[in-house]
Amino acid sequence: MSDTAKDLHSEYMVINMGPSHPVTHGTVKFLLTLEGETIIDMKVDIGYLHRGFEKMCENGTWEQVMPYTDRLNYVSPLINNVGYALAVEKLIGIETPQRCQYIRVIASELARISDHYTNIAASGLELGAFTAFLYFVEARELVWDLIEMLCGARVTANYVRIGGLKNDLPDGFKAKTRDVFKRCRELWADVDHLLTKNRIFIDRVRNVGIMPPKDAIAWGFTGPCLRACGIPYDVRKFHPYLVYDQMDFEVPVGEKGDNFDRYAVRMEEINQSMRIVEQALDKLPSGPINVDMPEYRWQSKEDISNRIESLIFHFKTVTEGIKPPAGEVYSAVEGANGELGFYLVSDGSGKPYKCRVRPPCFPLTAAMPKMVKGGFIADIVPTFDMINMIGGECDR
Amino acid sequence: MVADLIESVVKILFIFSVNIGFFSPILGWVERKQSALMQDRVGANRADVFGFTLIGLFHPIADAIKVLTKEDFVPEGADRLFHTLAPFISLTPAIIAFAVIPFGGQYVLFGHHVNLIIADLDVGILFIFAFASLASFGAVLGGWASNNNWSFLGGLRASAQMLSYEVVMGLNIIGVIMVYGTLRLSEIGAMQVNFFHWGIFLQPVGFILFFTCAIAENKRAPFDVAEAESELVAGYFTEYSGMKFVMFWMGEFLEIVTIAGLITTLFFGAWHLPFVSDRMLVDFFGFAGPDGANILAILVNIATFFAKVLFFIWLQMTIRWTLPRFRYDQVMRLGWKMFLPIALINIFITGLVLLVK
Amino acid sequence: MGVPFEKLKPKRVRKNIELTLWERLYIFEIIRGLHITSMHFFTNLIGFVLPPKGKKRKIMTVYYPEEKLELPIAYRGRPVLVMRENGTERCVACGLCEKICPASAIAIVAEERENGDRFPASYTLDMSRCVFCGYCEEVCPKEAIVMSAEYEGLARRNRNNLIFSKEKLLRPEESVRDRIDYIRGIYARCNY
Repeated sequence: MSDTAKDLHSEYMVINMGPSHPVTHGTVKFLLTLEGETIIDMKVDIGYLHRGFEKMCENGTWEQVMPYTDRLNYVSPLINNVGYALAVEKLIGIETPQRCQYIRVIASELARISDHYTNIAASGLELGAFTAFLYFVEARELVWDLIEMLCGARVTANYVRIGGLKNDLPDGFKAKTRDVFKRCRELWADVDHLLTKNRIFIDRVRNVGIMPPKDAIAWGFTGPCLRACGIPYDVRKFHPYLVYDQMDFEVPVGEKGDNFDRYAVRMEEINQSMRIVEQALDKLPSGPINVDMPEYRWQSKEDISNRIESLIFHFKTVTEGIKPPAGEVYSAVEGANGELGFYLVSDGSGKPYKCRVRPPCFPLTAAMPKMVKGGFIADIVPTFDMINMIGGECDR
Repeated sequence: MVADLIESVVKILFIFSVNIGFFSPILGWVERKQSALMQDRVGANRADVFGFTLIGLFHPIADAIKVLTKEDFVPEGADRLFHTLAPFISLTPAIIAFAVIPFGGQYVLFGHHVNLIIADLDVGILFIFAFASLASFGAVLGGWASNNNWSFLGGLRASAQMLSYEVVMGLNIIGVIMVYGTLRLSEIGAMQVNFFHWGIFLQPVGFILFFTCAIAENKRAPFDVAEAESELVAGYFTEYSGMKFVMFWMGEFLEIVTIAGLITTLFFGAWHLPFVSDRMLVDFFGFAGPDGANILAILVNIATFFAKVLFFIWLQMTIRWTLPRFRYDQVMRLGWKMFLPIALINIFITGLVLLVK
Repeated sequence: MGVPFEKLKPKRVRKNIELTLWERLYIFEIIRGLHITSMHFFTNLIGFVLPPKGKKRKIMTVYYPEEKLELPIAYRGRPVLVMRENGTERCVACGLCEKICPASAIAIVAEERENGDRFPASYTLDMSRCVFCGYCEEVCPKEAIVMSAEYEGLARRNRNNLIFSKEKLLRPEESVRDRIDYIRGIYARCNY
């Protein structure tokens, strides 16, 4: 038998999966070497959504970078906003008022909820559970309504400003959040019943894409994918920023680091994020939301039209950009996919000298071959969905 | 002789128009609307004629116009003959299989003996299986002839899956055949007059297995690994467009109807209402004269049958839009390691019970 | 600093990793799934055929051209210029919006009237570049450019049609009064 097999002319099938393939979302290419359905080798080819974010930042003022960050992880833009603003504030050395910090927490958690909804929905869709997809898209729609009410756009939020926020919470936000979360929890329960205990789903995701904790750290995993390995690393707990240390929430962890754990961790994080939003809304202090530093924060319209100093400062900060002191800083927030870090270098001018982003999903995407090698083609689907590679963030 | 001919033609026209003219276009609409309602959406409703949308019922017409005017594309390097032949091979068995499914009992109409089945073969079940296995050629040829790696993988998956599930399906049917002692579908139907002799009560395990295998045989979710759009783009019909593409879909939709018809016949009392025999129907309608009573009874038969068929179509659609997809190896494992032993045990137990009786 | 690693009590989410026989049998979980989806199905079916009185149906779909979403006041549609009552623009061509625009969508050519007032001789907004970030209205010292609630008319066959001139952008002040108040409100309230 073995001799016959040797004589047979057989070769591996080399096939391009993507960039225009349903599972790769148009932003990545896998070069697969297949033996039948088994993956022998896999090369990941990223960069299809490269827009030169970091270079663009160097050409804009510090303020102008903010709308660009919306396009990093376009599923949870508010977290990017917060992350960038915190990095610049760290560079300047200012702390925003309490109310601002609470609202930033609310915004980040809403964005995280919508990101996890999208992720689980998309995985459901690609595993064939179209109904679960639409239930979560419906829930995301409701969360996006909240975000739209808050900042005026659903995806391109551009809400956070260096040293403050664009605007305060709108009236009736708390009541609407309560309604939305009520419906979201119903839909969450529906999806939970449809997927979590369904053996077809479990068979697809369990023991697929396993990443041992040691390897996960070595590859630079963060966020839900690392927590799925059983390591409770969460920037919100270990390096608390904003007012996360005053919030009561738990860090969900998995055990084996397979796709089922990633799914379960995300499902639980949705609940925890809802808890955080509710707590923050309850505790929300009153007060200003911006720092009173005309050199860093734009002035109110009233001041601009009434006070000549404000007008002059305003012209100066807008045309020249705010001028953080020279230096470098790294600041990380817990993005929906993991640690989203901004490394900024300032030379004291109005433009960033360097703006480097640590995208959480870049290491995850890099580890794709390790996770799926030896598996089937069909295993790429849940694994790639569960690492939640967002092209805008990974390719920048 | 002439009467026989007329009878046959009427029956064929009836089934043909019901299947091709009604079910195959309407199922596209049903699938859209039902999935929409299950998913809190509205569904396609924008095709309109002079502003009347008719809850989206114009969409099948719009679809038909669209596919008929689309370019018929054959990829470079494809085998033109087989590429063209594959959709026909997929579609034909689905239409033919309905010939042996009875949709009513036997009546005397105007002194002529009428049997509400197009072809009352004494090997009815085998006929269906023979043609169902032909359908797998469509998938294999389509996948192979397209000269596309994804199609190729899809074709491989389709052939393996369809062949495996045919085995299990055949074994399931053996239980039914043992219980009723015949291969003739009209006889199986006639034996289910007694409500407690319906297949579902005599062969409950057989019903579940048969239903599952039938869905797998039809390659619908959760068994749609052969076309798994997130893995293989569209599986074996990746390279098809226009009318050829639609023929694959029509084949799939018609097979849904066939499966529903077959399950109704084998397990759900065929054309019988519970506790009501054909004799009782005719007696009930006695006020309309002998022929009138028969015609009314026939109509009730047909209505009952198609009501049951519609229910099973609904059930298949609900399953399709509820469950995630299996992985390819899990489908095979399920078929060979789970269904096959259960089917064999089922046969064994059925035989034991029959023997004891 | 944050919580020490040892002290953190994470929540384990991988529940009963081994499925019970009940769950292994597929069918019961499938029936539960079918129950959920068919509940949605029948609820919506009843909602369509006999809509419950006073209760909004659960379907999220908005029939777009006939129905429109109710936009929050914060909504950022496409930027428009505010027109004074005498038909001239409020804009004084200071160029702040041109400067701050992250997409470089705005181009202004300033001129002076006889009385010394500056005004934009041409104000071009390239809608194919605009990213709707709202910085222009934020920095404008004269409240002359605001993000309106308009979002239609931005799909054109020719990109040149997306370059909006001043005449196309001008809106009477009354139509954007709410937005102007909103901007003034948020900035007045949020800052000291």
